Amino acid sequence: MTTSSSALPPVDRRTVLATGTAAGLVAAAGTGAAAADDASAKPKAQRYFQHGIASGDPRPKKVIIWTRVTPTPASKPGSGKGPTVDVRWQVAKDKRFRKVVKRGTFTTSAARDHTVKLDVTGLKPATWYFYRFTFDGAHSPVGTTRTAPRARSTPRNLRLGVVSCANLQAGWFSAYRGVAARNDLHAVLHLGDYLYEYAPGQYGMGQDNVDIREHDPAREMVSLSDYRRRHAQYKTDPDLQAAHAKYPWIVTWDDHEVTNDQYDTGAENHDAGEGNYLRRRARAHRAYDEWMPVQLNGTTELGDGDRLYRRLKFGQLAEISMLDLRTYRSEQVGTPVVDPAVSDPDRTITGAKQLRWLKKSLQRRKALWKVIGNPVMITPVTFGSLPGDLLDPINDVTGLLPEDGAPYNVDQWDGYTADRKEVFTFIKDHNVENALFITGDIHSGWACELPYDAGSYPLSGSAGVEFVCSSVTSNNLKDITGTPAGTTSRLVEAAIMAANPYIKYLNFDDHGFSVLDLTAKRAQMDWYVIGDRADKGTSITYETSFRTKTGTNQISRVGRPVA
Amino acid sequence: MCESSARRRDGEPTPYDVGLAEIAAGRRTVLKLGGAGLVFSSAAAGGALGTDAAAAAGKKLRKTKKRAYVLVVDGCLPEEIDSGLTPNLAGLRDGGFRYSRAASKPIMETIPNHVMMMTGVRPDRSGVPANSIYDRKEKVIRDLDRPRDLKADTIIERMNRRGLRTGTVLSKEYLYGIFGTRATDRWEPRPIVPVSGHAPDIFTMEAALAMLDELDPHLMFVNLGDVDRLGHTDFTGPSGVQAARRLGLIDTDLQVGRFIAALRASGRWEHSMVIVLADHSMDFSRPDRVVSLQGPFEDDPFLAGKFVIADNGGADLVYWTGPDRQREKAVKKMRRIAREVPGVLNCKNPQSSWMRLGPEAGDLVVFCKSGWRFSDPDPVTSNPIPGNHGHPATRPIPFFISGGHPRIPRRKASSKVAHTVDVAPTVADFFGIKGKPRGGYDGRSRL
Repeated sequence: MTTSSSALPPVDRRTVLATGTAAGLVAAAGTGAAAADDASAKPKAQRYFQHGIASGDPRPKKVIIWTRVTPTPASKPGSGKGPTVDVRWQVAKDKRFRKVVKRGTFTTSAARDHTVKLDVTGLKPATWYFYRFTFDGAHSPVGTTRTAPRARSTPRNLRLGVVSCANLQAGWFSAYRGVAARNDLHAVLHLGDYLYEYAPGQYGMGQDNVDIREHDPAREMVSLSDYRRRHAQYKTDPDLQAAHAKYPWIVTWDDHEVTNDQYDTGAENHDAGEGNYLRRRARAHRAYDEWMPVQLNGTTELGDGDRLYRRLKFGQLAEISMLDLRTYRSEQVGTPVVDPAVSDPDRTITGAKQLRWLKKSLQRRKALWKVIGNPVMITPVTFGSLPGDLLDPINDVTGLLPEDGAPYNVDQWDGYTADRKEVFTFIKDHNVENALFITGDIHSGWACELPYDAGSYPLSGSAGVEFVCSSVTSNNLKDITGTPAGTTSRLVEAAIMAANPYIKYLNFDDHGFSVLDLTAKRAQMDWYVIGDRADKGTSITYETSFRTKTGTNQISRVGRPVA
Repeated sequence: MCESSARRRDGEPTPYDVGLAEIAAGRRTVLKLGGAGLVFSSAAAGGALGTDAAAAAGKKLRKTKKRAYVLVVDGCLPEEIDSGLTPNLAGLRDGGFRYSRAASKPIMETIPNHVMMMTGVRPDRSGVPANSIYDRKEKVIRDLDRPRDLKADTIIERMNRRGLRTGTVLSKEYLYGIFGTRATDRWEPRPIVPVSGHAPDIFTMEAALAMLDELDPHLMFVNLGDVDRLGHTDFTGPSGVQAARRLGLIDTDLQVGRFIAALRASGRWEHSMVIVLADHSMDFSRPDRVVSLQGPFEDDPFLAGKFVIADNGGADLVYWTGPDRQREKAVKKMRRIAREVPGVLNCKNPQSSWMRLGPEAGDLVVFCKSGWRFSDPDPVTSNPIPGNHGHPATRPIPFFISGGHPRIPRRKASSKVAHTVDVAPTVADFFGIKGKPRGGYDGRSRL
């Protein structure tokens, strides 16, 4: 995107204050949907729009805008209560809404948990817009969003915030605060684990599972009401609200949007007592469709399907293919026994249809960077010698299963090597250039080249590059071992990188977010880390940067972040 | 295939024989330039310089100080510019205008892509779809190395007609052959390595420098063949070591450095556009990864004896030679059989919108996978070399424009796709040559 057109319009003091005040009041009121109980004393705007606003899936001429309205005190998320109401929306070129370019009315009700989600069409490419909602004379906070460049354009750059794995119980969402504080992004890429299913006390911060904040409802989410309430709770977080309000988001899910280690017909964290798994998943997907600014099945309609994988194009510079690696995957192989089924061609992580679609994405010659929004790591990870007492915590964080010598994490592409081989072979046969996997899931920062053959690398060549962002809050190796940063984890990082020479960066210590910047010359990822997750106002600092030059499939460290 | 053993009928004169005959007949004037006794031939008066009317139209053009140099690093991969072995090429790329995704056009072979560079049109209009074809009239598999094989107008001839001077410095015999006497000045390549059929880059560059100094053409078209030739025969290639090829890259880069230094030293740089690109890239295969379609096709009673295969390394061009009415059925059978052969990537209709190869390319094109090669008709002897191209794995190429002329963007990159077919329109744009070939260019200016 060009510099001149990509500069984020300055948000005026009034907008900042409005957003901040609303968020602050919501935060002060508590974290759950129950917090709405005493909200009647608040101004109407704060009562009606407790869950913020959002936008997503930017296209050259359209973008999704989203909010949730609380028309009556009884209309709590997941309650199934409340009237059918009309919510007005406006999209403008200016923050004062004097130049409104699109407007309309959206009817919502308890049937869709009073969420509002629509495509705003007829917009101009590569353009910043302001948007807001109005109910009963009260305005929502104002959001800013940006359309994608036109298909044939050659934007100077595309800059994305990159985040994943935000466990509300494990800490404050300072990483989202860092994203929202930037003025140079075009969109935010969320790689999954936007929320977690656990009950309070089940998955908190560190070794002792301390809940910095407790989940609502206070049980594992299973019912539709549970999923709705959990989404609602996350969307009351002021840092998350600010990040949603600032940029359009491009999201995919990983497992925790339904439940841990899910696969096509079940999940590790699902048992018969919780009912039929597919019905549970359908409820989770329904809530996700209601509460996230995303197109499922290519539309903003609800109930018309749950295909999440999709492409988003940013001129001739980049095309992002967002993957769904949970809905169609075969069950993970058993652990801890080494199971040759990891290479069984009948097992899949993508599903046959999505794999064909991915190959088509890779083969398309319409964009320089073929970015793959990849919920779980694709880089093969093997092990050298590691101290035995570190194996359990490593396994807890990464699932890398070193105890029995198994050289793979069966929950990521290492557990589905036939699919990975098919993707890499396709890249090689068609000489697909600039395949760039952007990944979350593993609560740590990685920068990797992708070996065609790990054993003979680098002679075997590289299929592409993978950059992995750290978690917003979810536990990493340091948190689980309880050792200071830069001690145990450094030893493990060094051992893994020594055994896998194509892994150039590994950070098991930190939480944070990343910034991905794409130009016609290179792709660069910057890692930013936060201080203490338990400290709401903790610091955010720059950690490191890696880049890959176009056409090389090689990475190198860069001394400074993108300006 | 791009290998040395040129295919032509028994007794047919080589392109060099033809060139010597032209000189002997007085149609070309011989010049000996440079200390190394380099031989050039120039168009005899009234020859390539075109008509008086066209020359008059180019009167203003002839006074231009602009110079364009097209340097083809034959067989180079785009990532090799970042290998650390080619500092001169990397400097040119980074200081100029680079296309971060550029591609060869099918068939990803030397002759068709050099022809596309100079014509700006695709093979269905130039008549040159591959290195090796089956000539249905002559009933022989042969290289497209005759001047008459090229049926489209070239930027060389268009510039000649406007009174501008052009030069070809082509290291490979078949390139020398197909471009023939089109340029006003032509290097008569010597010495030629007997097996590879090309002149080493050090001699090619000597010729380019001599032409630069003493003939100073407005457009010079240079093919540097070492990287490709060393790649073809590099038996360390499949392991990834590529020892010979890497040495070739180092040397070719030095030669390019010499050329740029000469431009700067002579003051031409400020008026110059230097396009650097490859015609295709390169892929390596092990001896056990060979595809041969001759046997499987012969095993089919319907096809047996009624087809011919022109092997182009990474692509087989298949020709049905049976009755026309059976062609459709035959092609279907060929496709079905070929798809089952290990190492085959896919089958393409040579007339499809992506291929645009024209009738010379036959009835079916079969591509191999990365890490494989074709060897037809004989699976052992027809193609024993490890380095090949022609298949989709060998599409990406480096493509960048440098030079000191104010029109050349500095330190910029584009995310658009550039192709070999874009060279001619870019040169035309640079010189301000109006008009286009009949039917227009298939490429576009990349300035």
